[in-house]
Amino acid sequence: MSSWIAIGALALMGVGIPVAMMATSWVLRPSVPEQGKRTTYESGEIPTGEATGIQFNIQYYMVALLFVVFDIETVLVFPWTVIYRSALDNGASLTRVLVPMLAFIAVLLVGLVWAWRQGAVKWVTSPRAAQRKTERNT
Amino acid sequence: MTPLQLPEMIGGVLPVGGLLGEVLGALIGAFLIANFLLVNTAVAGPWAKRKITAAFTDRIAVNRIGPFGLLVIVADAVRLLSKELIVPEGVDRPAWDLAPMLIPFSALLGFAVIPMGNGIQLADPETGLAFAFAAASIASLGLVMMGYASNNKYSLLGGLRAVASNIAYEIPLIITAASVVLFTGTLQMSAIVEAQTTATLVEFGGVSIPQWFAFVNPFAFALFLLANLAEVGRNPFDIPEAPTEIVAGYQTEYSSVYFVLIYLGEFIHIFLGGAIAAVLFLGGASAPISALSFVPGFVWFTAKMWAFYLFTQWARSAVPRLRPDQFLEVGWKGLLVLSFANLVLTAVIVGVTA
Repeated sequence: MSSWIAIGALALMGVGIPVAMMATSWVLRPSVPEQGKRTTYESGEIPTGEATGIQFNIQYYMVALLFVVFDIETVLVFPWTVIYRSALDNGASLTRVLVPMLAFIAVLLVGLVWAWRQGAVKWVTSPRAAQRKTERNT
Repeated sequence: MTPLQLPEMIGGVLPVGGLLGEVLGALIGAFLIANFLLVNTAVAGPWAKRKITAAFTDRIAVNRIGPFGLLVIVADAVRLLSKELIVPEGVDRPAWDLAPMLIPFSALLGFAVIPMGNGIQLADPETGLAFAFAAASIASLGLVMMGYASNNKYSLLGGLRAVASNIAYEIPLIITAASVVLFTGTLQMSAIVEAQTTATLVEFGGVSIPQWFAFVNPFAFALFLLANLAEVGRNPFDIPEAPTEIVAGYQTEYSSVYFVLIYLGEFIHIFLGGAIAAVLFLGGASAPISALSFVPGFVWFTAKMWAFYLFTQWARSAVPRLRPDQFLEVGWKGLLVLSFANLVLTAVIVGVTA
């Protein structure tokens, strides 16, 4: 119990320090509102359209999906690593403690190979970008 | 018997006892640790980073104010905090303000379970290692919030890249850590350190090499360092903020105190990465050879954290940046497969030798 009090105390510090710094800065800093200062920085161009509406590479989405699979798998591996050695010390045979986990990891690796061959971890360029590149080169 | 931890040590000298004393001890301990990290970051950020980069590029950096230019830290702190905060048009307001607070929060929280030697450890729960990783990965959320809320295309791309890199390298990082847990059989940080300090690995000519997991399993150590480098977003894995491509990535629109907070968070994150690497692979706060164990463990631990910091700065100066497509391939096809191979091999070796 007391360890979670200490962690909570550090969490409080983790909120308190940024807030204190923001308060200090709020006292010190000037405010000179000028026209044009508040536009978002896009290398000096006048921004067009909303930033959140842009299209971006689908790969980010594919990678996130893959991550969910492997993250859950990591959660399942952790308890096994904790009990592995003590189970062996208590006389459990390797076929009982190691082989099931090997089978589990093998299933996942098959999944990774499938995703790999499907091109989920290969960076896709849009056909239009590829076409432009050819046009530039010719 | 476990040695006293920092909150209990402080609670012991306080005039109040009971729950109030416990809470006060925890608060004072947390305050001390947080400020120790702030001091480290202050030295690392405005001063050491410039000095190290200058040494790598054959220049002389900050040397005008104070001895070795150390007082530039004070000057920079005042300069950065007193800058005007420019709020760009169309930012998503509560999210835009909360994100810079989230980054240092997540990195600081991870330090709650790190044993820094001499009993300087806030808490030692049985799930310590999992807690440290969990706290450190809250930062990804802050990065997405910054990228999305800034209403800037560079920021959005930077945020997306940051998340893609964090999730790609987090799994190798944790799986490699799990291969250490196979040896120790526990997630408790102090027990992981203890498992490395109780025995010696080999001994030649009177010099005994301790059973640090970096020596027991150097392959895992190399994998962990590489994945850690990607996790803290330093070269060769710095595509999230690639200055020549997307200005500054997710932090393009942040100025003044928010800029300070983001950098504070990033540096504490590097130190947290170093601290976890030290606990898992470098024997925590123990001395490398027993003849040097008169130096307090806290000093060793700080030195190990700084060694990792130096490693990130070295990589930053020496290694070119990977392209996003290479980055994905190195993460998913290289490190992921290698870390699983490491886990399975370690399990087999532990199983055969145990």
